[in-house]
Amino acid sequence: MTNDNNLTTLSAQMADAVDTIARSLVTVNGRERQAATGIAYAADLVLTADHVVERDDNLTIVTPDGRTLPAQLAGRDGSSDIAVLRVAGLNTPPAAAAASARVGALALAVGRPSQEGVVASSGIVSAVGGPVRMGRNAQLDRFIRTDAIPYPGFSGGALIDASGAAYGLLTTGLVRGTAIVIPMDIALRVAGTLTQHGYVKRGYLGVVTQQAAVPPAQRAALRQEHGLLVVRVEENGPAEKGGLIVGDMLLALDGHPVTDADDLLGMLSGDRVGKAVSVRVLRGGQPADIAVTVGARD
Amino acid sequence: MLSFETLTGTLDHAAVGLLDGARRAVVQLVVRERGVGTGTVWRQDGQDALIVTNAHVLAAGDHGGRHERGRLRMLDGEGVAHEVAVLRRDDALDLALLRVTVAGRVTGLRFSAQTPRVGEWVFAIGNPWGQTGVVTRGVISTTGTVAARDGRRVSIIRSDVHLAPGNSGGPLLNAAGDVVGINAMIVGGDLSVAIAASTVADWLNPQMKI
Repeated sequence: MTNDNNLTTLSAQMADAVDTIARSLVTVNGRERQAATGIAYAADLVLTADHVVERDDNLTIVTPDGRTLPAQLAGRDGSSDIAVLRVAGLNTPPAAAAASARVGALALAVGRPSQEGVVASSGIVSAVGGPVRMGRNAQLDRFIRTDAIPYPGFSGGALIDASGAAYGLLTTGLVRGTAIVIPMDIALRVAGTLTQHGYVKRGYLGVVTQQAAVPPAQRAALRQEHGLLVVRVEENGPAEKGGLIVGDMLLALDGHPVTDADDLLGMLSGDRVGKAVSVRVLRGGQPADIAVTVGARD
Repeated sequence: MLSFETLTGTLDHAAVGLLDGARRAVVQLVVRERGVGTGTVWRQDGQDALIVTNAHVLAAGDHGGRHERGRLRMLDGEGVAHEVAVLRRDDALDLALLRVTVAGRVTGLRFSAQTPRVGEWVFAIGNPWGQTGVVTRGVISTTGTVAARDGRRVSIIRSDVHLAPGNSGGPLLNAAGDVVGINAMIVGGDLSVAIAASTVADWLNPQMKI
């Protein structure tokens, strides 16, 4: 009673998709317990989750064809849970990135938690969300959620579409026990910074602020109810050099309203480090724009 | 090229047809009206049907009553109870073969000889928590072998289909409607384990002297 039907075709294509991504998935040995997964994305580079790399050295990966190779930590970023490993002689085809994820699309979570082969679970793209705050001073612009089960060792693995292309890097380290997928374009952007600098730069201004209500007289014109009152300015810090003084109320940064400390921290991303930003403040009841060159946080 | 709506409609039709056919090969095993598991009809043998299930489903019958051993019966798809004879039982492999006189009320399923591929679609049919004919869908997560208590190698299939107590002994079907495994247990709350059809077939065939 074998039926050759569209269902068998779909089923075979899902298995093909797993075969495709399997060629780019490695096992990552970076912690005592459960090994995890990594995605080969360039000639000698592997993308994985930061939280599965618990040590800085004595790291190894196992390729799809069973070779155990030493790996160097090229860089890591705890707040986005991304790490990059450099592996000489990786010789593993890089994963293809999928088109942007649509809610409802078929998806498979695939990991290589051991040398016994890849493991898969099925579901759909459940949500595409963001931006969301990750830790104290990082922001994930976009993230994907799925109802596919994240089995042990799936962190660092991939959520794939029906063609075997990666929607993104799967991790349970950002929200404990829940599969969060970092879209491939974002993961690769962070990975690019990590391979250049070893870490993701975080900007800082050198001010201590406190949320305060915009005075009623200015509220209507400014169209925001809160700003950040500067209560201290660090000596020789970026803000002082730019001319910010105690008593200024920060209203906007590069035209984006700042109403609480999270707004400000989210905007002090690596892209703005070393660059002049326009800071709009309320000083003596009058708006003023001040140029401040964002410093790098150690 | 089919339109999206036509394609999903075709897929729905294929899945419903597949499952309607398979339901006639899935039975409920009960002890004193209480569902204890599922049986998968292997084949008909004259007026009888030969049914595979897990040995641990029979164990539920052994301890079913306080004053007497509970008696295992089979309910067919129309709710009719039938007497069950246990032909063979292997606790290490967790398999049992039953003979039931059902006079054509059930049909057998084909057992797949091939190892399924990771990512393939699968359907489980069974009687979780006593509810009959429940279908869940998933994919093959991984395949492999484990050692049975007595050291024999058992091929197993892990999948992400949702199983619950009462699914034991029921079939795991591929997209063609062939049995790829007999659902046996749940590990870690969300990983379902089935005994691969190849292991089940190897165990069944010597018995039938084929």
